[in-house]
Amino acid sequence: MKREQFKEAFKKKKAFTHALKTYKKKPLHQIKQPDVPKGLYEKCPSCQATLNKSHMFEHMFVCPKCDHHMRIRAIDRIGITVDEHSFVEKGFGYITLNPLFQDHYEQKIVEYKKKTNLDEAYIYGYAEIKGEPLIIGVMDSYFMMGSMGSVVGEKVTKSIEYAIYKKLPLVMFVASGGARMQEGIYSLMQMAKTSSALKRLDQQGLLYISVLTHPTTGGVTASFASLGDIIIAEPKALIGFAGPRVIEQTIKQSLPEGFQRSEFLKDKGMIDKVVHRKDLKDTLSKIIRLHQGGN
Amino acid sequence: MFHKVLIANRGEIAVRIIRACKQLGIETVAVYSKADEDALHTQIADQAICIGKAPSKDSYLNMENIISAAINTGAEAIHPGFGFLSENAKFASLCKSCGIQFIGPSSEVIEKMGDKAMAKKLMKEAGVPLVPGSDGEVTLEEGKEILSTVGLPVLIKASAGGGGRGMRVVHHKKDFEKLFRAASNEAEAAFGNGKVYIEKFVENPKHIEVQILADKYQNVIHLGERDCTVQRRNQKVIEEAPSSLPIGMKKAMFEAAVKACKHVNYENAGTIEFIVSNDQFYFIEMNTRIQVEHPVTEMITGVDIVKEQLRIAAGKKLKYSQADIRFDGHAIEVRINAEDPKHDFRPSPGVINLLHVPQGLGIRFDSFLYTDYLIPPYYDSMVGKVIVHGYSRLDAIRKMRATLEELIIEGVPLNQSFIMMILMHDHFVKGVIDTGFIERHLEGLLRYET
Repeated sequence: MKREQFKEAFKKKKAFTHALKTYKKKPLHQIKQPDVPKGLYEKCPSCQATLNKSHMFEHMFVCPKCDHHMRIRAIDRIGITVDEHSFVEKGFGYITLNPLFQDHYEQKIVEYKKKTNLDEAYIYGYAEIKGEPLIIGVMDSYFMMGSMGSVVGEKVTKSIEYAIYKKLPLVMFVASGGARMQEGIYSLMQMAKTSSALKRLDQQGLLYISVLTHPTTGGVTASFASLGDIIIAEPKALIGFAGPRVIEQTIKQSLPEGFQRSEFLKDKGMIDKVVHRKDLKDTLSKIIRLHQGGN
Repeated sequence: MFHKVLIANRGEIAVRIIRACKQLGIETVAVYSKADEDALHTQIADQAICIGKAPSKDSYLNMENIISAAINTGAEAIHPGFGFLSENAKFASLCKSCGIQFIGPSSEVIEKMGDKAMAKKLMKEAGVPLVPGSDGEVTLEEGKEILSTVGLPVLIKASAGGGGRGMRVVHHKKDFEKLFRAASNEAEAAFGNGKVYIEKFVENPKHIEVQILADKYQNVIHLGERDCTVQRRNQKVIEEAPSSLPIGMKKAMFEAAVKACKHVNYENAGTIEFIVSNDQFYFIEMNTRIQVEHPVTEMITGVDIVKEQLRIAAGKKLKYSQADIRFDGHAIEVRINAEDPKHDFRPSPGVINLLHVPQGLGIRFDSFLYTDYLIPPYYDSMVGKVIVHGYSRLDAIRKMRATLEELIIEGVPLNQSFIMMILMHDHFVKGVIDTGFIERHLEGLLRYET
């Protein structure tokens, strides 16, 4: 075989030249060791594939290998959903207080603010999707798990009222761990507040689409997340009130497969449609267009 | 320009010339011996004519067959390449009498320059420095006189001799008489002729040659010099350009070479060879043909010498003036020979079963090899030349090493690793070499031969 002969010939040649060669030797400390910088790659939590972070925006934060929908920052969510340069943020400058004087709560908030560059776990504003104007609100699960404290509740209510004022459809992306423990009763009161605001929106005959993403749980599920005229969910998102482990321990029964996942909930009628992230923009623009002139 | 040219040669240079002809839109006729039916030049030429049996004297040196091949195919000109008939004045005049253009100088010039005594006489007339010494045989008294003018050391040589017999080197004046007698007696004993002559002994010379282009209209330009100091038994092994000589000396050498060419009415491409020692250069001979190592000059000047030869022979004026010639970077050529360094470099014909040629910027491989080609035993053992061009000498050496590291020609023993050892040698890299370099270091250079 010529191929084998070639391989053998190259090997021989290398052995000969290596015997002759003296490579320049540098002291070890002078040699710059190549290294992959931190934060260049991340692992897909589902399939463990190594993914280049800088390419993730193009992939809409969906693992190209296993289609896993990853967690996504609010600003990225807006970036991949609405038309370029159309988003105008409203309602900033809210300050989170510590009404129950919880230890370290304020420090925690400061830390999260630094880490996420956000005021709170929710941003909203005016935007357009394929030219259709709407009010968009997005929860950021990186900010204290997107939990709903009084500021989040207030901002959600404000966004609903802004939609009423502008007479525009409202789209809300929900990702939350539930009501914020540190604010106790004040967080729970937000459930009623947001729900009643949505009632007024409904009375105006305006469209409200709620998009449930991984994870949507607790008080948020029990209030505005589930009140959408149309409820869309992303694939395999965990949606529920109490977590599956808590339920399992409480009812002492094993839960069916895919319990509290969006596909399961769609079958049971809790949500209307499971939409892949890359189809979301199309779906939303279609729905909004269909409902134009409905008020 | 010619419409058809016959190439009266074989091997790498025939391939080189055929390619140049093709680029100029000239039809080519290859001639081949029975042993070269499979050779590359036979395949790539537009026509190929068999001119005889395998031994050179029956084919590539067979003038009548070559001339009749040219006449039968209607070739207007014959390019003789190097070796074979390239410096044969008879062949040149035979071409002329048959109305075929011989691509090279006229037969008169070839004859004059081929005769060493004549060439030296002409060069002396032209004012080209020769190795100083006696004009012919001398007696002891005359010898002493010459010694005082030439200076030490001198070489006493037998007129009739050769092979180192009757030869003495004189380093001290007081030894002269003794050594002169000894040389004379030895010559008497060996050749029956005790006559000796004296010339200056050139110690540790460098071998430098100047490439010349001259047209019919007395335009003569030089293309710079080549350093062919690395030799083994007068066979050049590595050639490079430019040399490391001081600029003033180079200029004097170029002037001398151009002057010499004008003096003999030289035409076409030629090379004037000098030896250089202790800031002095001396003429040794002129090659009235293209040379094996012409690519190094091509690499640094960008002038295609074979194409220029064809243009000049077709009666065109030189395309370049001396001012157009620029020297850029450094080029090195090594000759890949099918010879076995382990067994005193004996030729090793055989089948090439693997061939891999690395490529890259400034790397050139002039060869007639292809996979499964059978190297015939009848001819020269050179199978190819690797030429590299780099921005400096060191860059070129490194490029050559890297190229040879990857060059694979398997099937027959070659001198590749021997050349690699030279390229690795400290003295070569520093450039402190002379023509005796390989002989002195042969053992070390062969130590990795397996």
